[in-house]
Amino acid sequence: MYTAKTTVRNASGIHARPASRFIEEAKKFQSRITVQNLDHPADRPANAKSIVSVLNMVLNQGSRVEISAAGPDEEAAVTALIGLIDSGLGE
Amino acid sequence: METMTGNPVSSGIAHGPLFVYRPFHADVAAARFDARDKAEVLAKYEAARQSADRELQAICASLRPVDPEKADIFQAHRDILFDEAMDEDIRALIEEESYTPDYAVETVFSQYASMLAGASDALLSERSADILDVKQRLLRNYYGLPEKDLSHLARPVIVAAHDLLPSDTAMLDRGNVLGIAAESGGKTSHTAIIARSYGIPAVLGIRGLLGRAEDGMDAVLDAMSGELILSPDRETVSAREQKRVQYLADRSDAEQYRLREALTADGVHIDIGLNIGSSQPEELRNADCTDCVGLYRTEFLYMQSQHAPSEDEQFEAYKKVLLAWSGRHVTLRTMDIGGDKSLPYLPLPHEDNPFLGNRALRLSFSQPELFRTQIRAALRASVFGDLWLMLPMVSSLDNIRRAKGLIRAVRDELLAEGVPVSDSFRLGIMIEVPSIAVVADQAAREVDFASIGTNDLCQYLTAADRMNPALNAYYQTFHPAMFRVICQAVQAFVRAGKPISVCGEMGGNELAAPVLVGAGMRTLSMNISQVPRVKRALSRLTLAQMETLARQVQTFSTEQEVLTYLRTSLSEHQGKDR
Repeated sequence: MYTAKTTVRNASGIHARPASRFIEEAKKFQSRITVQNLDHPADRPANAKSIVSVLNMVLNQGSRVEISAAGPDEEAAVTALIGLIDSGLGE
Repeated sequence: METMTGNPVSSGIAHGPLFVYRPFHADVAAARFDARDKAEVLAKYEAARQSADRELQAICASLRPVDPEKADIFQAHRDILFDEAMDEDIRALIEEESYTPDYAVETVFSQYASMLAGASDALLSERSADILDVKQRLLRNYYGLPEKDLSHLARPVIVAAHDLLPSDTAMLDRGNVLGIAAESGGKTSHTAIIARSYGIPAVLGIRGLLGRAEDGMDAVLDAMSGELILSPDRETVSAREQKRVQYLADRSDAEQYRLREALTADGVHIDIGLNIGSSQPEELRNADCTDCVGLYRTEFLYMQSQHAPSEDEQFEAYKKVLLAWSGRHVTLRTMDIGGDKSLPYLPLPHEDNPFLGNRALRLSFSQPELFRTQIRAALRASVFGDLWLMLPMVSSLDNIRRAKGLIRAVRDELLAEGVPVSDSFRLGIMIEVPSIAVVADQAAREVDFASIGTNDLCQYLTAADRMNPALNAYYQTFHPAMFRVICQAVQAFVRAGKPISVCGEMGGNELAAPVLVGAGMRTLSMNISQVPRVKRALSRLTLAQMETLARQVQTFSTEQEVLTYLRTSLSEHQGKDR
């Protein structure tokens, strides 16, 4: 299991197009990946490969997130997804 | 062969196969299968997913080159279709509880949709609608039913429907729609307006249409006579073909006038305004044959999207339009929602009489944030051209003063933020409610300009619901009362030295246009398909002759007398074309 944290920067958060980009990236990895909104620690972590679960997390600009992965490519998966969020998800 | 009749609302003649549009509706009940069939049942679920995905892929591929934004929506639908979390839940219901796949899909998709719909975020409730949309597609494929959608048709067809909603027409595959036949809708219904602006022949208000129409049935739609002929015989087809050729010849004759300046026979210039509904390139390119935008219907920006358009989105659209008409004025009508136009993300309470209800400016007052956002976007765009802001559904001077106060506050707010706002933008009103038409002289002192919305004016003046085909005989656009009311409003504005125009359907009507100019108007606004004929009609008469028409029509007592008089007078001048 590998874990890292970051903050959402792009204006529209992880919704619509940016969310699709995020899911697309997550699906490239075999590991089981989850996203947790650290501002709502009580919520169940979302499956990072499920668009509806990620959307339901309500990740807005400024939201703090934790990404965890477990599997053969866990470290690469977390690094890639954190990098994508930090780059503004194509916005 | 069978002939059905309705109201011709957009002229032309079409011949081709029918496409019966019946939106799919699934009624799924809880059911379990025999656990021994599990493998087979799971395979059926997977097959439905694959076949739904093939549809989505085809839609994406055909939309990608022409409308990448729309293609993105369907790409997102593919993500939803293969969503891991939902898929796990669905398989659990099938494998562990032996529920049939349709029930499992119905349950899980609905559950996720309502989860998202419950979020306060507008963007999320948008996704909820997408999930329900994908659910319908998946279920339909599970039942092995063909796609029934107007966004991408396999071949050119005549669409037969009960009614077309604005959301249906927004997605319309225009290139493949030869004609539209529908059971409901009158001359000024949304479908009629869209059909005319796209130049698609349409006959609406055909009673019992869906009881007779069948998919693939050969049909002739004559939107000159208002007839839909099912399974026509050979003579009928060739007779209507001939009529079609004549119609097209007349249309191409009028076509010569498209790019000409609109002049009366004695050389008086008339401004031809365009009615537009978007900032799409196909609308903006018409800037070269029109003098201004007489009506920019901003509500389509709200209706085509699944969420309220942001200030920036609106700003970009308004700026594009202002730049396209480079300095010539653009009349931007603030959102006209309510009545027959609803928004998926703005649930409104049911009203018994929506056309007499909380619509247009009234809705803007009750949704101050929506209005404020729109005004901010419009004023920010004002520095890119000549902006004329127009308020719809004004019924009293109080409305005008209240809107002015709100607009002034937005302007001050922008200036305080250091955002430039043009100091020459103008504020005007639609005249469509009889009460404001009656006090037009007082309104003229409050505003910079007015435009007469003849569709609603007629509906309110004659108390005839324009959406109800049964009332077509009562909805009389050429009622002498219409001309009396219009003429006195025009005089009030002319006396005050302020511009007044028409942007309703009458402005684009060949018979009415000369009368309106005769009444004192110097700007007529219309859909692009009407521009050539109106220019031609104006070129046939002198201003003095038009003034006589305007005086005369007010003296008649029935619509029929007015129509007979106009047809006779105008046909006398037809031979005089340059």
